[in-house]
Amino acid sequence: MSLSGLLVSVAVALGLVMLLSLFRVVSGPSIFDRLTGLGLIGSKTIVLLIVLGVWSGRADLYVDIALAYALISFVGTLVLAKYFETTKESE
Amino acid sequence: MTVVVGIMLVVGFCFVLTGVLGILRLPDFYCRLHAMGKCDTLGVALMLGGLALHQGVSLVSVKMLLIVVFISLANPTATHALGRAAMRAGLVPWRRDEEVS
Repeated sequence: MSLSGLLVSVAVALGLVMLLSLFRVVSGPSIFDRLTGLGLIGSKTIVLLIVLGVWSGRADLYVDIALAYALISFVGTLVLAKYFETTKESE
Repeated sequence: MTVVVGIMLVVGFCFVLTGVLGILRLPDFYCRLHAMGKCDTLGVALMLGGLALHQGVSLVSVKMLLIVVFISLANPTATHALGRAAMRAGLVPWRRDEEVS
């Protein structure tokens, strides 16, 4: 299999795995389970962006978007964890 | 070189898949956090390292390695923050004699 076909396969498989993580976001018993699923989807989005960038030959464009998304996703997870730490209603 | 890149992509995806299966199947929030923190960090680092190896030495591959360094710092930090927030919010850890939620 050529590298281009492998990249397309990895991108499709990453999309399916993100759907599996979305199941945990929808049906998590507590709010922290939903945050865990969101973190997984965020880190897979970074890899998916770079795989699509390498596949389309414009990796210099996509890698900046992935870098910014990594920063924003990390800050978002930290802020949401701090917010739900002080909120007593965690169901 | 292409074979090495392909092997790194597939092995990294196996780690990511293991993390997601752990998220789906483990019984408790803290166990799921365990699956998320390690498998996801190693899987993303392997996949991005393979793609940076495919790009060769350029600004793009340096940025990919910067993403790898940032994720290997940020993902354990986020995991720790989530676990501490859940413990302070009063989420009780799972024991063996309870029902699986």
